[in-house]
Amino acid sequence: MSLERPDTVDDGVPAQTPDELEALLGDLVVGRDDHLNAPGFVIRPDTVQETLSILKEQAGYDHLSVVTAQEYENRYESIYHLKKYDDPTQEVSVVVPADKDDPVSETGEPVFRTADWHEREAYDLIGIEYEGHPDLRRILLPETWQGHPLSMDYDRDRPQIATLPEHANPLQDHHKDDESDTMFLNIGPHHPATHGVLHLKTVLDGEQVVDVEPDIGYLHRSEEQMAQSGTYRHQIMPYPDRWDYISAGLLNEWAYARAAEDLADIEVPEYAQVIRTMGAEMCRIAAHMLALATFALDVNGDFTATFMYAINDRERVQDLLEDLTGQRLMFNYFRLGGVVWDLPEPREEFFSKTRDFLDQLPESVEEYHNLVTSNEIFQMRTIDTGILPPDVAKNYGATGPVARGSGVDYDLRRDDPYGYYDELDWDVVTEDGCDNFSRLLVRMREVEESAKIIEQCVDLLEDWPEDERTIQANVPRTLRPDDDTEIYRAVEGAKGELGIYIRADGTDKPGRFKIRSPCFSNLQTLPEMANGEYIPDVIAALGSLDIVLGEVDR
Amino acid sequence: MGTAPAQLFPEWLAETFGLPGVLGEVVAALIAAAVVGNIVLAFTGVAGPWAKRKITAAFTDRIAVNRVGPFGLLIIPASAVQLLAKELIVPEGVDRPSWDIAPIILPASALLGFAVIPMGRLGPINFHLADPEVGFALVFAFASIASVSLVMAGYASSNKYSLLGGLRAVAQNLAYEIPLIVTAMSVVIFSGTLQMSGIVGAQTETLVTIAGLDIPAWYAFVNPFAFVLFLTANLAEIGRNPFDIPEAPTEIVAGYQTEYSSAYFVLFYLGEFVHIFLGGAILAVTFLGGASGPGPESIGFIWFVVKLWAFFLFTQWARSALPRVRIDQLIEIGWKGMLVLSFANLVLTAVIVGVIA
Repeated sequence: MSLERPDTVDDGVPAQTPDELEALLGDLVVGRDDHLNAPGFVIRPDTVQETLSILKEQAGYDHLSVVTAQEYENRYESIYHLKKYDDPTQEVSVVVPADKDDPVSETGEPVFRTADWHEREAYDLIGIEYEGHPDLRRILLPETWQGHPLSMDYDRDRPQIATLPEHANPLQDHHKDDESDTMFLNIGPHHPATHGVLHLKTVLDGEQVVDVEPDIGYLHRSEEQMAQSGTYRHQIMPYPDRWDYISAGLLNEWAYARAAEDLADIEVPEYAQVIRTMGAEMCRIAAHMLALATFALDVNGDFTATFMYAINDRERVQDLLEDLTGQRLMFNYFRLGGVVWDLPEPREEFFSKTRDFLDQLPESVEEYHNLVTSNEIFQMRTIDTGILPPDVAKNYGATGPVARGSGVDYDLRRDDPYGYYDELDWDVVTEDGCDNFSRLLVRMREVEESAKIIEQCVDLLEDWPEDERTIQANVPRTLRPDDDTEIYRAVEGAKGELGIYIRADGTDKPGRFKIRSPCFSNLQTLPEMANGEYIPDVIAALGSLDIVLGEVDR
Repeated sequence: MGTAPAQLFPEWLAETFGLPGVLGEVVAALIAAAVVGNIVLAFTGVAGPWAKRKITAAFTDRIAVNRVGPFGLLIIPASAVQLLAKELIVPEGVDRPSWDIAPIILPASALLGFAVIPMGRLGPINFHLADPEVGFALVFAFASIASVSLVMAGYASSNKYSLLGGLRAVAQNLAYEIPLIVTAMSVVIFSGTLQMSGIVGAQTETLVTIAGLDIPAWYAFVNPFAFVLFLTANLAEIGRNPFDIPEAPTEIVAGYQTEYSSAYFVLFYLGEFVHIFLGGAILAVTFLGGASGPGPESIGFIWFVVKLWAFFLFTQWARSALPRVRIDQLIEIGWKGMLVLSFANLVLTAVIVGVIA
């Protein structure tokens, strides 16, 4: 266990000061636009690839978290939020302004594959064109949508009806020619194994997958825009529960809480941090249990006992969370500066229920190992299928269990500590198999680590002096962060790095609210895992990614 | 046994009710067939809507149907009405009439198999319709007609998922039929006959006596290795977990059944269940001594039914516990593993029987 920062494996890439970076980039930098979390370098829109590759190769910024796009009165802007997998506290933002009348910017896709989808989203919602992008189509909205909904001149009152005949025929590009021996298959949007409304455009050669292209956006609910029209203090917090709605609510809430608290400079009382940590880890157990359950469905078939067993265990955590927050899924329990209320009374009962659960958990995990991971057929199905090599995972910005299953030792709870994590004793789980099996194993082992964290939190909370139980800091009724302050902050959600970018515009509502969804980036790796494999492996790979469409589409 | 072969069901009917001549034989045969068919259909009626739910629920910590009638038993007529009352949706572009014939072939072929299965006695009645000299070959022939139905359904549905399911069914059946039959041949070497009554009769002797307990010479005890091979191939043959890949709901939706609804769906469902029971019947006859069991011969039918349901329970257990193998792995197991093992078993059996006899 390393509570201290991990020794940077790559000693050739030490931390750079902003000035060193500016010197490294030289003439590429045309200005500075620092964010609260990172120095920001303004560059010309035709030097994006050059800048990104210098930062990636010479300065070691190998993780493109997210691309944020936004429109100002006088310009468009794309921000590339870069980090290091070895040390995510080292961050840098590359700010690329684009012309107001002709918003064109060079694509970063050749440097970071993950930019592919992120730039498509920016194009779709804001309207910035990325020159050289291999596939600049809409991603969240229908192909026939008119206008870009987060741009300033967008007419929200204009009705938009995307009728079926107007849609491009999904078969069009794949029409059989004389030589071709392939079949086009639509998997989804309604299919037993797509975990929601996901559409996989699949090209098959017999049973083998030649190409698979995820088509997302069926569950797009304008979450970013809704957050932009809510006030910081109270109106935004309920939304995060609806992103990853598979009982990972508190983890999502923490993402917003962390970003907004750092933006408005709010200190959270230690007691509240412990409660948050405990609640968040309960959510992680619930989320991983469901991941295990649905993965078993995908691999075993739809009447597997594992599914119900895991759901039963999830139910027990769910009961604890219900006691804690009063809700079962949409918790709305965090507040800026703390949590909404203290532990339920009588406290002893809550503690003993929690301890009962923790005592029983090792037995359950053992049973899953007997039933699932040690089954030869299961191993035959999952080991060495859905391979995601670590460098590919990094290139796609994969995080969470998906990255850790590929041996990428990256966990924001340890590497960029928040809450009470750095005071507790636990381990980051990694597996080197890079396959479906490893990703499942990581989740199952993480459940045990989460249990360790909860146990320590319960110990702490039990002994907490009664007069020091402050659950919320003093936070002004209305928050108005200074105009043009920008921040990107991330937490370790159940699926990976869940980040929020907020630009304050001097009002009590965010000027731009951007969600970095781990599922969005993770799902992008599916073709890498699936191409060349069999249909059942695609299904297994998709299951092992553990996506929630509510978070992918937002 | 050593006595004269038991009187067959139709003969008993003709004799008891005094039906004379050829016409009487035909009528008696029809009545007997209807009785046996209905017994099997009654099993599936209990198995499909009720037992399957209850068993799966027990395996997965649930309760399942318990509101409709005692133990939820009235769910059987309720489900029947519900399924038959649904609209039959005929998708555009299906290849008729093969699309309509396919759901009839599956239950029909499986039911046909029961014509030669000796199901044992209940009182004076011997539930055995026909006992041709090649009965053992016939039953496998009937059972394998099922894959024709799956291919027809898969192809005629003009749906890509159905097509994939149909293709998988063929590949799977090819890979498993051969080991199944080769293993069954090793039993024939033991019994020296293809006649069903002969195979069952050969298993009634006592193999060994342990602590005063007679262990019968069931081929499962005589050659456990062949029994395991046969059981595995049988699971694949009837398409149950871990070999349910022609349907594989999480992969190819419902395979060849995808486009079927209402009565056609019921027919498929029914066919699958009859097929499971036929698989159980073949297993019972080949390896588990048919209707033999403790007690007088006149309650043999009950033992036979117990064996059928035990096999059904086994398939449901496998469904709750085992992951599904991938199609290429299945084929590999079939051609590279099972086929080799089954031939090894055959040669070994032949040598042993040759040396002993």
